[in-house]
Amino acid sequence: MTRLKGEQVTIGYGDHVIVDNLDVQIPDGKITSIIGPNGCGKSTLLKALSRLLSIKSGAIKLDNADIHAQSTKEIAKKIAILPQSPEVADGLTVGELVSYGRFPHQKGFGRLSAEDKKEIDWAMRVTGTYDFRLRSINDLSGGQRQRVWIAMALAQRTDIIFLDEPTTYLDISHQLEILELITQLNKEQGCTIIMVLHDINQAVRFSDHLITMKNGDIVADGDTEDVLTKDILEKVFNIDVEISTDPRTGKPMLVTYDLCKKSYSEV
Amino acid sequence: MTTKRKGKLNFTATFSIACVLLIIALMISILYGDAKIHLTTIFEAIFDYNPKNQQHNIISEIRIPRDIGAILVGVALGTSGAVIQGVTKNGLADPSLIGLNSGAAFMLALTFAFYPTAPFLVMMFAGFIGALIGGFIVLMIGRSRSDGFNPMRIILAGAAVSALLTALSQGVALLFRLNQSLTFWSAGGVSGTTWNQLMWAAPFILVSLVIIVSMSKQLTILNLGETLAKGLGQNVAFTRGITLILSMILAGIAVAMVGQIAFVGLMVPHIVRYLVGTDYARVIPLTAVVGGLLLLVADTIARMLGEAPVGAIISFIGVPYFLYLVKRGGRFS
Amino acid sequence: MIDPKLKRKQWYAMIILTICVLLACAWSMTSGEYKMSMGAFFKTLIGQGEYTDTLILMEFRLPRMVITILAGAALAMSGAIIQSVTRNPLAEPGILGINAGSGFVISLFIVVGQVDADNFIYVLPIISMIGGVLTALIIFSFSYNKGEGITPASMVLVGVGMASALSGGSLTLMSTFDEDQSEFIASWLAGNIWGDEWAFVIAFLPWVIVLIPYLLIKANVLNLLNTHQHIAQGVGVKIGRERIVLLLVAVLLSSAAVSVAGAIGFIGLLGPHMAKSIVGPRHQLFLPLAVLIGAFLLVFADTVGQVILQPSGIPAGIVVAIVGAPYFLYLMYKTKSV
Repeated sequence: MTRLKGEQVTIGYGDHVIVDNLDVQIPDGKITSIIGPNGCGKSTLLKALSRLLSIKSGAIKLDNADIHAQSTKEIAKKIAILPQSPEVADGLTVGELVSYGRFPHQKGFGRLSAEDKKEIDWAMRVTGTYDFRLRSINDLSGGQRQRVWIAMALAQRTDIIFLDEPTTYLDISHQLEILELITQLNKEQGCTIIMVLHDINQAVRFSDHLITMKNGDIVADGDTEDVLTKDILEKVFNIDVEISTDPRTGKPMLVTYDLCKKSYSEV
Repeated sequence: MTTKRKGKLNFTATFSIACVLLIIALMISILYGDAKIHLTTIFEAIFDYNPKNQQHNIISEIRIPRDIGAILVGVALGTSGAVIQGVTKNGLADPSLIGLNSGAAFMLALTFAFYPTAPFLVMMFAGFIGALIGGFIVLMIGRSRSDGFNPMRIILAGAAVSALLTALSQGVALLFRLNQSLTFWSAGGVSGTTWNQLMWAAPFILVSLVIIVSMSKQLTILNLGETLAKGLGQNVAFTRGITLILSMILAGIAVAMVGQIAFVGLMVPHIVRYLVGTDYARVIPLTAVVGGLLLLVADTIARMLGEAPVGAIISFIGVPYFLYLVKRGGRFS
Repeated sequence: MIDPKLKRKQWYAMIILTICVLLACAWSMTSGEYKMSMGAFFKTLIGQGEYTDTLILMEFRLPRMVITILAGAALAMSGAIIQSVTRNPLAEPGILGINAGSGFVISLFIVVGQVDADNFIYVLPIISMIGGVLTALIIFSFSYNKGEGITPASMVLVGVGMASALSGGSLTLMSTFDEDQSEFIASWLAGNIWGDEWAFVIAFLPWVIVLIPYLLIKANVLNLLNTHQHIAQGVGVKIGRERIVLLLVAVLLSSAAVSVAGAIGFIGLLGPHMAKSIVGPRHQLFLPLAVLIGAFLLVFADTVGQVILQPSGIPAGIVVAIVGAPYFLYLMYKTKSV
């Protein structure tokens, strides 16, 4: 079942085309990761799917209706996004930022209703950020900050959540913290998650579905076990890999990798 | 990182053409005016001056000083702009945008307040000190974290400093009941230039110009970036310091002579760089000539339009050009 | 979700500021060429004053005071909005040349237009707005870059250039004016609060009453616009539309203010910054404070100007610039990233 799909989507700026005539379907209720080398278009695709970017041709459909035809507020009730390393003004508190997530549900002056407050509290508790709701965001650690952003996305109460490189600037323990939170959200709330990740092993371990991209095209798209193969990785990343099974999770994992010999001799 | 980009045209040819145009413009300017004067009269006035001849008088007491004044101011402002753009690596710098004009004006206002009968030499000096103060504050704040200057900080600091110094000048003018209206020094006009002023201004301007030209190689290297210039053994602080101070002298004298004229220092270096490339040994001399030419032509036009302020005429071309440069990204050349 | 301590701080600050404004007003209205004692002042207020006192106070000083308060408030609000929408903490109508644009069109109008003395005052804010909006349009269209939209850097560059050009243009026009017009424009450019009749208040007040509350209502949207573009979009803010409308309102507000109070810069900077330093960046908290601070600063500056130089007084704009510009430079010095 897929509520969100892209049909023959072309995305670009001016004459520059990044993604050309692409079809993609996001499976509901699963965690999907998009991986690929720098510049392959993964962030661009993510932004287009969440209507942050306009597309040149084709259609992005949510529940069979074109996403660009619906009001942006309505979309915000169904899709939440966490962009890459957002900055905030000094002095903005955790509670405040999470409360922004209620914007699509608010009318008029924007006073927070009892329901709004309930959702905000819930979002903060689930992400373990309730205790620092009065603290300034810029005073928190990287991991805590990311959890706050996730709380905001949660407060939107959407079924679909996009995360653009949620772990890139964090150290390993914070990375795992976030990824486990995401897994929990998926299991307990049934959220559909789409994220862009750099680390291949992380992507495999924490997703159900994997999309690999290169040069604006989708190279492979399917269950993680099916996509993590020697051939596909060579094609996408130009690396020669050894794949084994993760002793703890039972999922495939990369044990070691090298640049493909070809790349040196092709000068 | 371009060092010397070859411009479109051959330098010697362009320079010569510019000089010729300058002379022609000078002729036309002297000829034109309420009193009709013939070409031969000009030669007579120069070589066979007769103080009783009214036409000779007009030429020698009014037209020639005014025109030479215009040329000198153009030379000063153009060169000043070229140096500032080079040193700050900011294609959008102009003496008026970095507080030099308003600084000079402020100092001059103070001078008028406390020393109303100041001789021109004192005024020039005041102009220079004022330009120095204004420019120093702006450039200090405009330093970026890494090497060199941050263009936006310079522009912002320039705007704030100009606002401050202009307000202070106006305050001084009001407090000391100076007869100059609040708009004095703001409009800019060459019409009152006297031989006395030229006598003092010309040597300073020309000497500064010569020194800057002699340092043009340093400027070209400085343009590669502070770190690189240091790596090549240049004494960056010295080069920057001297050239900036000279550019402030030039701007200060210009304001003392004619009030505030903006955009000359912005436009001329850009045009020149487009024509002959970014080698400062070429840019500076040509900027001087073209600057003089521009101001002379503008002043003549201003005269034809019934003494419109010269600054306005220049702004008329300067502003659209400035907008065009910003739109293009304000790149250096 | 606001820290209750901050809310309390806001209340205290608002009360204190209101008192400050009132005190400054009292000081202002009892100063000037015609001396009035505090006692006489209060007596006149309650209708028991002498004839001359009442005349001067009610017909001249009081309306002028109201104008000053409203203008200060409007300018501070306008600056705050522009800063939030463009995400540039150093933007304000003076530096961006929007005031100069208003001035230029006003000058043009005086030269070219048929000045019908009766209606002139009511038409003035509109003329000023035309100038302000046109300037803003030019600034925003020239600083727009296909790739990055409007960066703070290019906006400031174009703004400063326009400011220089437009004030130069006004000065040029002045050379074609007669003595009186010339002097008017000159003092307008220096920021001389010239609106001193009730007619001016009537001309200006409607704009304030409509536009300022509108902006206060938009506080939530402003909060979001001030975060990252994608975040605001992500929660459903119609960024394009909101930005344009908010900027337009801000420019209208500042243009209206300068039409009756002269070209006064820096209030749009000082007000919001000081307010934020007291209660933080949340618009619901700092906007009301900024408005009060703006009003207070302008009244104070104006009075200082009047007291220092009698009888003509130093235009408020000059006093504000002398204080505001160094503060601006200090802010720049502290913000390493601009």
